[in-house]
Amino acid sequence: MPVQDESAALVALLRSGRQPWQLYADLVEEAGSAIAVLERECGEQAGQASLFGDPVRERISRAAAEIEAWSAEGMRVLTVLDPGYPENLRGVHDRPPLVFAAGRLEEGDARSVAVVGARTASARGLGAARSIAEQLVARGFTVVSGLAAGIDTAAHTSALACGGRTVAVIGTGLRRSYPPENAALQRRIAAECAVVSQFWPDAPPSRRSFPMRNAVMSGLTLATVVVEAAHTSGSRMQARLALEHGRPVFLVATLLEHEWAREFSQRPATHVITRAEEITAIVERLTSTGELVA
Amino acid sequence: MPTVAELSGLYSNFMMGPRPGPDVCTQCFNFTEGFPRCYACTHGESWLDTVVPISYSVAREQLHHALAGYKRLDGEVARRLEVELAAVLWRYLAAHERCVARASGGERFELVTTVPSSDRARDERHPLRRVVGELCGPTRDRHERLLRRSAAAVPERAFSAEKFEPARPLEGHSVLLIDDTWTTGANAQSAAAALRRGGAGRIAAVVIGRHLNREWRHNDRRLRGLARPFDWSRCAVHSDPDA
Repeated sequence: MPVQDESAALVALLRSGRQPWQLYADLVEEAGSAIAVLERECGEQAGQASLFGDPVRERISRAAAEIEAWSAEGMRVLTVLDPGYPENLRGVHDRPPLVFAAGRLEEGDARSVAVVGARTASARGLGAARSIAEQLVARGFTVVSGLAAGIDTAAHTSALACGGRTVAVIGTGLRRSYPPENAALQRRIAAECAVVSQFWPDAPPSRRSFPMRNAVMSGLTLATVVVEAAHTSGSRMQARLALEHGRPVFLVATLLEHEWAREFSQRPATHVITRAEEITAIVERLTSTGELVA
Repeated sequence: MPTVAELSGLYSNFMMGPRPGPDVCTQCFNFTEGFPRCYACTHGESWLDTVVPISYSVAREQLHHALAGYKRLDGEVARRLEVELAAVLWRYLAAHERCVARASGGERFELVTTVPSSDRARDERHPLRRVVGELCGPTRDRHERLLRRSAAAVPERAFSAEKFEPARPLEGHSVLLIDDTWTTGANAQSAAAALRRGGAGRIAAVVIGRHLNREWRHNDRRLRGLARPFDWSRCAVHSDPDA
């Protein structure tokens, strides 16, 4: 069965949406085939479907046409069965069964760190985000962020300015920009690197979409750095998700003025840092997979 | 190179250590409701002297994903999961192998081996042997592939004394059997039966994850009652380090 049909079968499965999305990632990975899972679901639904044509083939070809239209717009679909699906994301339990990508995701983007923080950031916070992005680029890391105003924008633009790679993970479909002011930056990152979304291309922003996006951002990367963030922020949420993924979290020391960050800094795998070099040194050590020392 | 403590520390935030208690299976640490043993352990065969799960592994949560992923995935992410799981096993055994040995009536284990896969083809390249035999410091010098999947046609998930065969006579040696996951215990008990047939002495199993579904009965409440983050100084068989 061609790979395109597998992608189309997964799109068809998700369009019909009988189960939670995340479950389809498991089902499809376990079966090694989305077509097999779709056939199973259609069989359960329709029983003797062959009397009425072949609903599986029909749904696959409808979805294949959708994928083709997306592709003409510059949006690629990457499913868990696709070799191009982001490597680190495979390692987390709540990975989405597929992601959309505008631009070009490279294999080297697996060497990446997420830099996140507040939308209304202080000059000190913006400066920290910029120097962290610069250090990451200098050590060959891709800088991943969420394309929000403030810290996210500083991280993205600083990575681009020093000739590095940056990937934006957004909380809407790829056809949308939120907030709208960031549309130009979104286009630029798609043109030079990649923008990733786990949502259908037209999906609007919602209360639920941003935390879901934070989980994908954590999953895509080797570690999460929180630069500046209040108690209720998505960045704090992402820090929690990263620890639940077994990925280290770095808190910029100035965050310790917040009660949540002081509490958080006590958790295992959390590092409070004052210099960007500490991040790259620790991430490089933790992800060198050769051997272990006592 | 990462240290064992920092790599295993990445798992501290989601690992959940089993503890003995009135509603906990005395063999496999499954949650029960007032019974000394869970259903599978009551009705299944018991060839192991001791079973010690390092953590609970909850279906579709991160430890479960790691325990499935290091076998199912390939490439860089699978290698990273292997090393992380080796770090978990290393840190745990360095601190608690003696607890496990004492629970089975000894001081240590002479040999270490892994539970083979039920599937012969899959067993030929089982990454658990790399974890136990190469990456994990406390086990690698004592590790030996003591069991093979036999040619007998037996159900994959059921107990069978014929499923595995010993590779050599074991002459009363004590054996520490390692597996990634314990669900019903059928595979580990089958492996223990084969070791016994080969002449092994004491046999204990250490498994990384005792598999559970959060939705089953009161499991969610029971799991939320466990201490977090994971406490590496304690284990399921001798919870009080000073005892």
